[in-house]
Amino acid sequence: MSMAPVSAAHRPRLLGEKERFMLLLIAPAALVLLSFEVVPILIGMNASFRDWSLVNPQKTWVGLRHYVEVFTDPVFLKIVLPNTFILMVSSVTLSLVFGLALAHLLKRQFFGRILIQTVVLLPLTIAPVITATMMRWSFNDQFGILTNLLAVIGVPQVGWLSERWPSFIIIILTDVWIWTPWFTIILLAALQGLPKEPYEAAQIDAASKWGIFTHVTLPLLRPVIAVCVLIRAIDAFRTFDQVWVLTGGGPARSTEVFSVYAYVEAFVNLDLGRGAAAAGAGAIIMLAVGLGLYAIVNRAMEVSR
Amino acid sequence: MSLSLAVSSTGPRAQAGGFLGLLGVAGRRVFFALAVVAILLIFIGPVAILLLTSVRPPSGVYYIWRGWEFTLDNFAEVLAQPVVLHSMWNSFVLSSIATVASLGVTVGSGYMLSRFTGPIQRSWFGIIYVFRTVPYISWVLPLYLVTTNLGIYDTYLGLLLPHVAVHVCFFSWIMKGFFDSISPSMEHAALIDGCTRWGAFRRVALPSAMPGIAALAILSWLWTWNEFLFGLILTAQRTPVITVTMAQFVTETGTEWHLMSATAVLAMLPALLITIFGQKYVVRGLRM
Repeated sequence: MSMAPVSAAHRPRLLGEKERFMLLLIAPAALVLLSFEVVPILIGMNASFRDWSLVNPQKTWVGLRHYVEVFTDPVFLKIVLPNTFILMVSSVTLSLVFGLALAHLLKRQFFGRILIQTVVLLPLTIAPVITATMMRWSFNDQFGILTNLLAVIGVPQVGWLSERWPSFIIIILTDVWIWTPWFTIILLAALQGLPKEPYEAAQIDAASKWGIFTHVTLPLLRPVIAVCVLIRAIDAFRTFDQVWVLTGGGPARSTEVFSVYAYVEAFVNLDLGRGAAAAGAGAIIMLAVGLGLYAIVNRAMEVSR
Repeated sequence: MSLSLAVSSTGPRAQAGGFLGLLGVAGRRVFFALAVVAILLIFIGPVAILLLTSVRPPSGVYYIWRGWEFTLDNFAEVLAQPVVLHSMWNSFVLSSIATVASLGVTVGSGYMLSRFTGPIQRSWFGIIYVFRTVPYISWVLPLYLVTTNLGIYDTYLGLLLPHVAVHVCFFSWIMKGFFDSISPSMEHAALIDGCTRWGAFRRVALPSAMPGIAALAILSWLWTWNEFLFGLILTAQRTPVITVTMAQFVTETGTEWHLMSATAVLAMLPALLITIFGQKYVVRGLRM
């Protein structure tokens, strides 16, 4: 009787056959994650507490100074953070709405559907850098085709990429263009997999199309939409490529988002410590946002169950 | 008579469709056609501008909508630069290996997340989620130091491993979804028949998840091919990648738009082919 707990202690339950199999399954992923994400993050944290400018070999410990500098930097507080959140919210919302509309269109069978689907998926194919480069070219002050087109149809000519809000709107729209296909393709796959019965019931009730959409389709899609938004929102927070290529954060740092800010501090101002602190500050903010979003999404999933 | 027929055929829908219903059948057709045209314009537009710029001679590259001189010299010129073909080859090798490695590394992780419960599963899911939220810039900056110290900065390995690491969290999550949509009853049956856990995973669950994995493989290849920030920070002259090479057609006198566009078109082609031939698998695989 008293032997049982002893033998159980000899073979701890944590490493039973099943647990060992679980650990085996995650071992490769955990190893890669540890060595190429966790370790760099720790090194980055270390660097953020030091005067790690590329020209200073001493790497003096400066404690929280960099963090204080970042969090009291008016550029970071008044421009970078608002920009980052504006980009995140507007890009995710607009791509979700357009993606949903396009998925609805592509769900139907019509002549040329495959062509449209291929065209809609184009942005997924093209590197964001290339897209952003083309947008920069198209909005070139003098030679840009869209600058000239807009002038022809009577839009007052502004320096599209040399003023804060016009260039920031271009950044947002470019991001929406790039990410709409991602929503489209996932929502299309989800729409095609929806059960038929609720629709037949709705048809018997003579529900309107809009009613069917809001009362049948949207609730059924809610889990997929929730996960899509979660994934995209996290990614949108760290947008770099489009902003870097389109404006480089300019004019005068007015369109910088958080990733660009950290990159500029580290590789343009050549202060790796300050850059790491900026990146760390962003990571902390993002972790809070991510956990909040996760709670919201979890609730959305439970409601729809 | 014909009028009443028309009305009765659109009647229920007309009540139903809100403002679209007010347009009537013909109106709705026109609206639909206009929407399709608008979509085509919006999505083809930037690509068309890119293509047009890439075939304009240096003299006609400004004001690309004027004049009719076209040339393929830009392509010849960028292809004559060794760095362009070299970067394309690097990107190709990197995307292919990174895709295989990422899928190989994460398939077990996703399976574990889907099939098991308990503290290990919960902690791993927490870890995955938390590290998913870490912005790339927060660990790519120090990765520069890591790869330099390991002596793999600006090599295949030094780019490949971070690329796999960046996929670990996201792909584990997606793979979990694939396995969630497959009923575990077949694996239970296999286990009862004396199959090992590993055998049940490899020979029963894995084949059922293949459509999803194929979809993810295509997306993974595209994402790696199109990646920019990693290439920007972790490569230099030795292992250039195509996205960074393309972005570097900027000289002191300004951007060489015609050469940049030609390079961009070249960079787009492989990805375009993969999308055209792979979209069927992507839509099918993500439906699971």
